[in-house]
Amino acid sequence: MRHLLLGNEAIAYGALSAGVAVAAGYPGTPSSEIIETLLEYRDRFVQWASNEKTAVEIAYGAALAGARALAAMKHVGLNVAADPLHSAAYTGVVGGFLIVTADDPNMWSSQNEQDTRWYGLQSYIPVLEPSDPQEAFKMAKEGLMLSEALEHPVILRSVTRVSHVRAPVVVEPPAPPKFGKFARNVERYVLVPQNARRRKAEVLRRWDSFADLSSRFLSIEGDGEVVVVASGVGYLYAVEALERLRVKAAVVKVGMPVPLPKKLADVGAGEVVVVEEGDPVVEMQLRAMGVKTRGKIDGFFPKIGELTLRSVVEGISKALGLGVRLPDPPTPPLQPPPRPPYLCPGCPHMGTFYAFKIASAGQKVIWSGDIGCYTLGINTGQQDLATHMGSSLGLGMGIAVADREKLVVATVGDSTFYHAALPQLIDLKTKKVPLVLVVMDNEYTAMTGGQPSPSRSVPAERLAEAVGVKHYVIDPADLKRSVEIAKAAVADAKSGEPVVVVSRRPCTLEALRHARRSGFKPPKFYVVADKCRSCGICYNVLKCYAIAKLPDGKAWIDPSLCSGCSMCAQVCPYDAIKPTEPEKVGKWLELWSQA
Amino acid sequence: MVTSVVIVGVGGQGVMTLARWLGRAAMAAGYDVKIAEVHGLSQRGGSVEVHVRLGDRVYGPVVSEGDADYVVAMEALEALRAFRYIGGNTVLVVNKRVIQIPGRYLDPEQVYKALQTYKNLRLVPAFDIAMKIGDPIYENSVLLGYLAKLLGVDERVDWLDERNRRAFDEGRRLASGDLQPSASSMAS
Ligand code: SF4
Ligand code: SF4
Repeated sequence: MRHLLLGNEAIAYGALSAGVAVAAGYPGTPSSEIIETLLEYRDRFVQWASNEKTAVEIAYGAALAGARALAAMKHVGLNVAADPLHSAAYTGVVGGFLIVTADDPNMWSSQNEQDTRWYGLQSYIPVLEPSDPQEAFKMAKEGLMLSEALEHPVILRSVTRVSHVRAPVVVEPPAPPKFGKFARNVERYVLVPQNARRRKAEVLRRWDSFADLSSRFLSIEGDGEVVVVASGVGYLYAVEALERLRVKAAVVKVGMPVPLPKKLADVGAGEVVVVEEGDPVVEMQLRAMGVKTRGKIDGFFPKIGELTLRSVVEGISKALGLGVRLPDPPTPPLQPPPRPPYLCPGCPHMGTFYAFKIASAGQKVIWSGDIGCYTLGINTGQQDLATHMGSSLGLGMGIAVADREKLVVATVGDSTFYHAALPQLIDLKTKKVPLVLVVMDNEYTAMTGGQPSPSRSVPAERLAEAVGVKHYVIDPADLKRSVEIAKAAVADAKSGEPVVVVSRRPCTLEALRHARRSGFKPPKFYVVADKCRSCGICYNVLKCYAIAKLPDGKAWIDPSLCSGCSMCAQVCPYDAIKPTEPEKVGKWLELWSQA
Repeated sequence: MVTSVVIVGVGGQGVMTLARWLGRAAMAAGYDVKIAEVHGLSQRGGSVEVHVRLGDRVYGPVVSEGDADYVVAMEALEALRAFRYIGGNTVLVVNKRVIQIPGRYLDPEQVYKALQTYKNLRLVPAFDIAMKIGDPIYENSVLLGYLAKLLGVDERVDWLDERNRRAFDEGRRLASGDLQPSASSMAS
């Protein structure tokens, strides 16, 4: 039976058919659906972890105990887990240990590009690279079995165009989960220097043998004067581009790009065209083997972003000297203004940003941001940096001690708070850095599709209390009170004391889903045109996405977007914004807070 | 032969669902399919873009600029933004609706007029039909019906509930020309 599956779902089914028993991950686009799919299988231990390091450790530990285990994350997440990853190659495993990372070339939803295959080279862990969902299924299954057979971790590198592509996939049914039993082996598992040195020699010995193994994942299609070596999605673009260009070529499809099989040293006597997504990882290895290549290194294909059919057609054309250039795309008859992503209408973060904007008016503020929905505070001018998970408090502390004139307001979401800010919170206390840490707690990891965050079982204010940092809790839908408390927090920080404000209200999208399920139709708000004086506070300062500015400057609320949060009505100084069904407002806010 | 469809819209409109349903319909009709969620966050409000390719054997999941057979826009400003996918004979299907961009206001009539300079435009009142059925969420089913009819994959669409089915049939009827909306006759 063929199912129309997302690459990530196919990965999950592949792991299930290999009998995966333990899986852990941290959500991140484009990887999240792997764990989400596995979560449906209650006969196994499947969990979201508080960060990628924990996720990798859980899977690694399980595999040491002989279980078949998987850890899933996005590329940048692997950096967080890099420490246990490297040791995993040294100890090896007993069961299967598959590390799945989804790279995001072109940074559709990431702060940097990163090619996970380097981690394979650096940590001596073989890397599999599927080109489409069907192969993703197959390689997830084979990767897990292979890992167990080799007693060595295996990485499965996906990219956006595999993880987030849906295609017909033939799946096999799940196999029963394979748990295990831990057997002590101190010389292998305790990496004190003398043991680690021995293990390094073992790792290198294994590494050499992996090169032969990677031949299994090699296939050659077609023939011709021209040789194209392609890896992952590069293969799909290469086949299509060659068809377009009507070039007959031998296409060498590489399924395990790290390490490359030794026999690739004798592909093509002339120059080989290399098509791969990300960095020239295959190309560099080929060059090291003495193969002459044309790929990314000399600029035949772009070094930035994703491959596209256009860039591959033009790249192959350049490499072969065909002189093909595709026509420029047409331009629209009217240039539409950009539509940057905004906070959702009624997003609780909208209220939090508003409260702190008002409370800190007249001060020199650095908005030390972080990675998540609330990075969209960039639209209200309230994100001055956002570089990695945990940058808010981490970099914020550095800025606060370096620049003592400005007030640092660090904004972090709940999921990121548990992921990265807990050790930082301890530093905040012990170093007594005066700043405001705002935990924007919407109780979900909303940016990646609404995974639960630890916020309900481990409220952030409890942690602040345990650490001994002054703290407040606000409901951002109550703007008046939120502004008052935000003012108090700003005053605390100005007086030299670190302070935490937990702003709590569930994600709007989750609340709306909750309402739909319980058959409740939320109220909407509308602008009484006669009363509106075009002051712009609702659409310029609060910046609710549902509120449009009409040509005369008056506000207009799009009823199909309004989620009935009431914040606009609270900020309008002329009482021009009203609910359509006033009796429903209180009930809705109540229902919302239980979402 | 591969048919390439680019579907665009605004986050929250159900662009992904429309693409997925189209893919299901195509698969039911015996095609190989690839659906690429090209761009769009899970939040509401941003531009969303999904590519659907169907045929006997589909390689690349992503449609190149100038290469689409169909561009389907659930919102008119996004139709303008998707113009780069239009090639010689592309059919441009646009839901007659403008979702304003915060802080800017564009006169919808002006937007439709600009779109009408393109010869192969089909302006479809999917939003109006959805509102008549009772909820804006049905607009993607109207467009699904319309598109499935154009692509000849409208036969085995059996997973829709009653109201979505009604919307689907309305779209299908529009595409077969049973019901000629004034807007699309103006366009041709
Ligand atoms: S009530 Fe006002 S602020 Fe809230 S979503 Fe509706 S328009 Fe936006
Ligand atoms: S805040 Fe009130 S008066 Fe000001 S633009 Fe909005 S609706 Fe009009």
